[in-house]
Amino acid sequence: MTRWGMALDLERCVGCYACSMACKTENGTPDGVWYSPVYEKEVGTYPNTKRMFIPTLCMHCEDAPCLNACPTKAITKRTDGIVLVDQTKCCGTRACVAACPYGAMNYVHEVQGAFGGELIQLEKQSFKSTAGTVQKCTFCSHRIDAGKFEPACVEVCPTKARIFGDLEDPGSEISRVIRSRNGSPARPEAGTGPSVYYLR
Amino acid sequence: MSSVVNPFTGRWIMEPKTQNVWGNQHATWFTLMGIGGGLFINRLLFGIELGRFWGMTWADIISLALIGVGGLILIADLGKPLRVLRALLNPRTSWISIGAIADFTFMGLAGLWTLADLNFGGGGLNLTGLPWHGDGTLGLIFQVIAALAAIVVIAYPGLVLASSPSIPFWNSTLIPMQFLVNGFASGLACGLIYAAIVPSDVSGDVLTGWLSLTTGLLVLSVFLQIAHVLNGQYTHVAAKVAVRRLLSGNLQVAYLGGVVLAGLVIPLALIAYALSDSAGSNAAMAAGIAGVLILAGNWLSKHTVIRAGTYASLF
Repeated sequence: MTRWGMALDLERCVGCYACSMACKTENGTPDGVWYSPVYEKEVGTYPNTKRMFIPTLCMHCEDAPCLNACPTKAITKRTDGIVLVDQTKCCGTRACVAACPYGAMNYVHEVQGAFGGELIQLEKQSFKSTAGTVQKCTFCSHRIDAGKFEPACVEVCPTKARIFGDLEDPGSEISRVIRSRNGSPARPEAGTGPSVYYLR
Repeated sequence: MSSVVNPFTGRWIMEPKTQNVWGNQHATWFTLMGIGGGLFINRLLFGIELGRFWGMTWADIISLALIGVGGLILIADLGKPLRVLRALLNPRTSWISIGAIADFTFMGLAGLWTLADLNFGGGGLNLTGLPWHGDGTLGLIFQVIAALAAIVVIAYPGLVLASSPSIPFWNSTLIPMQFLVNGFASGLACGLIYAAIVPSDVSGDVLTGWLSLTTGLLVLSVFLQIAHVLNGQYTHVAAKVAVRRLLSGNLQVAYLGGVVLAGLVIPLALIAYALSDSAGSNAAMAAGIAGVLILAGNWLSKHTVIRAGTYASLF
């Protein structure tokens, strides 16, 4: 059985934010909603300092706390491990936002465009958000279902810092790289079994 | 409030970050439901009726009103309030779902049971003939199920917080235990306030009993507070940050001054005074002031726990 996962190579990420922007255009998210933000961290002590870039997204957890916390069954997990929010069922308790250890859930009070005021024509066409509900990364499940086995963020990454594939297949590139680079999930102590691994 | 709530947005420097998902409206409905549930159970166990209105006890009416208002605050806070009934769909894993079912069960059964006491105008509007009136078999079934629902109503907000692995300070069974103890203490506090307002309705022996029970619950609450702070201090760095905010940060006044001093220490002192002077005229007044402080301390304890919630960093 396929279980989709992603490996994020922190040594390769250069903080170009192409993934964040590709995600935004692919999924039509409103102002303030980022399914795949990249955070910045300064490490070391002057003068020996460097900047690290840490891409994040929904970890599509094996035992997803958001799914357990959702009272309306708006959050479901597919057989391939992808965790999805159905905005037509979400009633906006924000229990999932509080429960997610990775900050992956975005509660949208109101759908705002990038230019304030009314949405521009492009935004009207592309926004799929509903105010008063939660939305998050889908691993671009619509692309996977269409036979394009790569989320938009992976496709555009210029440094190949994102590797997407089947975690259940020991011969897949993602499984091999996690093994060879000793990849580990974020906050393993939360016990949620994330499908996203970090390579450091 | 900004248009999008995500605790991790902004310049995130991989440090524990204060939660911004839940706030004072949640503290308020947690508190109202705790007081309402506690008052209903205390009325059944210890006869805290708070007088009668058209045959119905004020304790029942107030507990229904508090839980009803708490529920309305919860519904008003939803992003899609009209979908509230969908919140009943996932009782297998969601404490909010279990709590919503308990809310509706309580409102239905306790409401019907209370209504069966209605006797207005000397026979003009008299529902005491309803089969579930009073302590008959059906009445007892209504009371037991409503009381069990009330216990869930008091505890489930705490269980919602405790089941969250994202915020280590919340992720502890000590929170629902505190909510339960605070709920029962607040129910008794309503009795103490009533004793101060209508001293002729509460005999000295009954008041002494309520005061003794309240003392026990407040002492238990002190131990739970200490245990929660120590647990936070030694379990996770994000929980330690939360404890620091409570003890020496921006929540210091609300926590140490409000929850600990005004909500626990001063009420304990006032109750000790009232117990030592139970025959005196000031005993009921001291008990009433203690009751008001206990209620305020209850809200502040929820407020500080929610505000202190801190997300752990990713690495």
